[in-house]
Amino acid sequence: MRLVVVMPFAMLALAGCQREERSLRLDPPVEAGLDEVRVMSNGIGGAPPKVYVALGRPYENNAFDLDQGKRLYDWFGCTGCHAHGGGNTGPAFLDGWWQYGADPVSIFVSIRDGRTAGMPAFGRYLTTEQIWQLTGYVQTIGAYSAKTAAPSRNDEMQSRPSENRAPATLGALQPPSR
Amino acid sequence: MSTLDISSDPRDTGLDERALARRLADLWQTPRGIIGTLSSVDHKIIGRRYIVTAFFFLLLGGVLALAIRIQLAKPENRFLAPDLYNQVFTVHGANMMFLFAVPVMEAFAVYLVPLMIGTRNIAFPRLNAFSYWIYLPGGITLWVAFALDMGPDVGWFAYVPLSGPQYGAGKRADIWAQMITFTEVSALAVAVELVVTIFKQRAPGMSLDKIPLFVWSMLVTSFLIIMAMPAIMVASTTLILDRLVGTHFYNPAEGGDVLLWQHLFWFFGHPEVYIIFLPAVGMVSTIVSTFARRPIFGYLPLVLALFATGILAFGLWVHHMFVVGLPRVGESFFTASSMAIAVPNGIQIFCWLATLWDGRPVFKTPLLFVIAFIITFVIGGLTGVMVASVPLDTQVHDTYFVVAHFHYVLVGGAVFPLLGAVYYWYPKIIGRMMSERLGRWVAGLVFVGFNLTFFPMHILGLIGMPRRVYTYGPEMNWGSINLFVSLSAAILAAGFLLFFVDAIRSAFSGEPAPENPWNAPTLEWATSSPPPSYNFERIPVVSSSDPLWETPETLPVATGLRTDRRELLLTSLSEANPQARESSPRDSIWPFLAAIATTVMLISSIFSAWAVVWGSVPIAVTLIAWFWPKGTPEDAA
Repeated sequence: MRLVVVMPFAMLALAGCQREERSLRLDPPVEAGLDEVRVMSNGIGGAPPKVYVALGRPYENNAFDLDQGKRLYDWFGCTGCHAHGGGNTGPAFLDGWWQYGADPVSIFVSIRDGRTAGMPAFGRYLTTEQIWQLTGYVQTIGAYSAKTAAPSRNDEMQSRPSENRAPATLGALQPPSR
Repeated sequence: MSTLDISSDPRDTGLDERALARRLADLWQTPRGIIGTLSSVDHKIIGRRYIVTAFFFLLLGGVLALAIRIQLAKPENRFLAPDLYNQVFTVHGANMMFLFAVPVMEAFAVYLVPLMIGTRNIAFPRLNAFSYWIYLPGGITLWVAFALDMGPDVGWFAYVPLSGPQYGAGKRADIWAQMITFTEVSALAVAVELVVTIFKQRAPGMSLDKIPLFVWSMLVTSFLIIMAMPAIMVASTTLILDRLVGTHFYNPAEGGDVLLWQHLFWFFGHPEVYIIFLPAVGMVSTIVSTFARRPIFGYLPLVLALFATGILAFGLWVHHMFVVGLPRVGESFFTASSMAIAVPNGIQIFCWLATLWDGRPVFKTPLLFVIAFIITFVIGGLTGVMVASVPLDTQVHDTYFVVAHFHYVLVGGAVFPLLGAVYYWYPKIIGRMMSERLGRWVAGLVFVGFNLTFFPMHILGLIGMPRRVYTYGPEMNWGSINLFVSLSAAILAAGFLLFFVDAIRSAFSGEPAPENPWNAPTLEWATSSPPPSYNFERIPVVSSSDPLWETPETLPVATGLRTDRRELLLTSLSEANPQARESSPRDSIWPFLAAIATTVMLISSIFSAWAVVWGSVPIAVTLIAWFWPKGTPEDAA
């Protein structure tokens, strides 16, 4: 009788647990492996590290990692150029237009190595895991479909709907006028 | 209904004992089989389930407490990682407060109140069944989440902004908030049932001044629940709205207020400790009177003390918030009201002492627990007065001094009487006696183990050890006291283990219990042990507050209730004069199904706000089926 009650819960919870796992400390070989992205020669797109795929692309759908990414986004001054996704001196993330590619590898490389248009390299300041967390978060800013995991709003003035509500939409894909 | 053999007169007046017992059993018995089990509305079956479930949660929470003590036994221990430690102390606290302490007190009331006031079932018995079926999944939610490493990690009070959207990553805080919703719904349901049962279903003649003190305490407790729980409902709902939908109740930048959370939480949280404590007071009064072999000394002051505590309980929540920065007059007011609550509690202590002093006390196990309670609770009450003063509170806030204080009042003030109550009422509920020899060991081990465990925590707090730290450095010199505390916790754990062993063993091989093994005065001892499904063959008539002492040989009874439908006697509020015969609902599977539907909605709402919309459809369906007119005799007024 109890089992009948327990089962749905167990199943529900198991379904949700991938997005809830917390790896608070990566094994050093995993961390090293996560750095090995293979990028196309023009610096856009490429293959993610094998360990990244083997882990099930963790930084894109894990609530804790996305939240950490969001925190890093504030702490490392991303808002200075990109604002909260709307863009300023740096490009916007909300408009869905990715100058250097929308895939995680491109974003990872942008953060780690910087880009010629003025994006500094953050590889010196962040660990590989942190760069991936940031990558995951930056992807959600411009996402056009809801994910199973998302960070939620900060306790500050709100410029757009909370992240864990439906994806932020700012109209159709338009290349920025700049 | 066709199985009943009904003569022309459906009333019980002319029936002899045996025919009456058979008819009542046919009428009130819970049917066998899984559907019958899930459909039962018998307050005794539901109460028993509640008690067993709550003690199971006590066991689980106790294991976590031991894990905490192992981790803190020595400096820089690596037994629990910091993230896990946060979950462990949060789940320990939330489990003990919401899944053990409140439900177990209500469970005893669900079982005992209808028996003590001489009626056949609790009011709204289907709601009663629903309340259990909604409590159980709430507990399972918390523990399954914990097992999956997504247990709440924000403290049992879940302060924002730590539990808010910005810092509470993932679903951990949502699990906490929804677990609250489950247990609050169940607590509110039981509170409403108890108020109605106590007000309207008392045996004829049981006027307000003859109500047993345990029933009085549950009445006051029920009103506390009805008034305090809405605050936490608002709090947990707004928290989940902030986290899920993106509202701004607790976002100062958008006009919200972080302190609002603390006010809402403690407006519930402080009455909560009296919701746990007052039933224990009722248990103590009952046990003291029975074993002192005299009516309780100071019945009226004891009842008034219950009310005074209940009213004051709502006027001192801010003493949890002395360090947030309050105006001076606010601090003074809440210091005064916090200290004032020592007055009614002091009156109670003196009434119990006077009863024991004047009586001829028989020192059986339940009374031993009461004595352990009096000593421990007085110590806890004294530290309570200490932390009520702002300067001292500012010093010891968030230290182990506070941990020691609230364990003294909660374990000493509520769990000791509860264990005594288990030893006292076990024969009535199970029909077998618990072991007197083991009981003395349990009382001794728990009392000594508890004091050795928690008294040194006062000192730890005074020398600066903060709460909720997962470890500490060796240079703090807290290691030796902590080691002593952890070793003493093993004694305490041994006491509880022995208690569980005794309770389980006695259920199978205990000595069969007579109707009234303690020669107690209240009505629950006037029926067999365990009581039949209909409680009493005929409703007793009461002319004193200790009816079984007043008329030990024969209890006057009322006749005239029908035997072709479940029927209760309703009486007037103050004098308990008979007013009407009222039908009582039959078993139904729908409360169980409604609880399942509600559970699905509440759990899903953690993941999507739309679940509230779509999840309410099955709830509506089950509720419509639940309340659909059946045309059975119960529906006839």
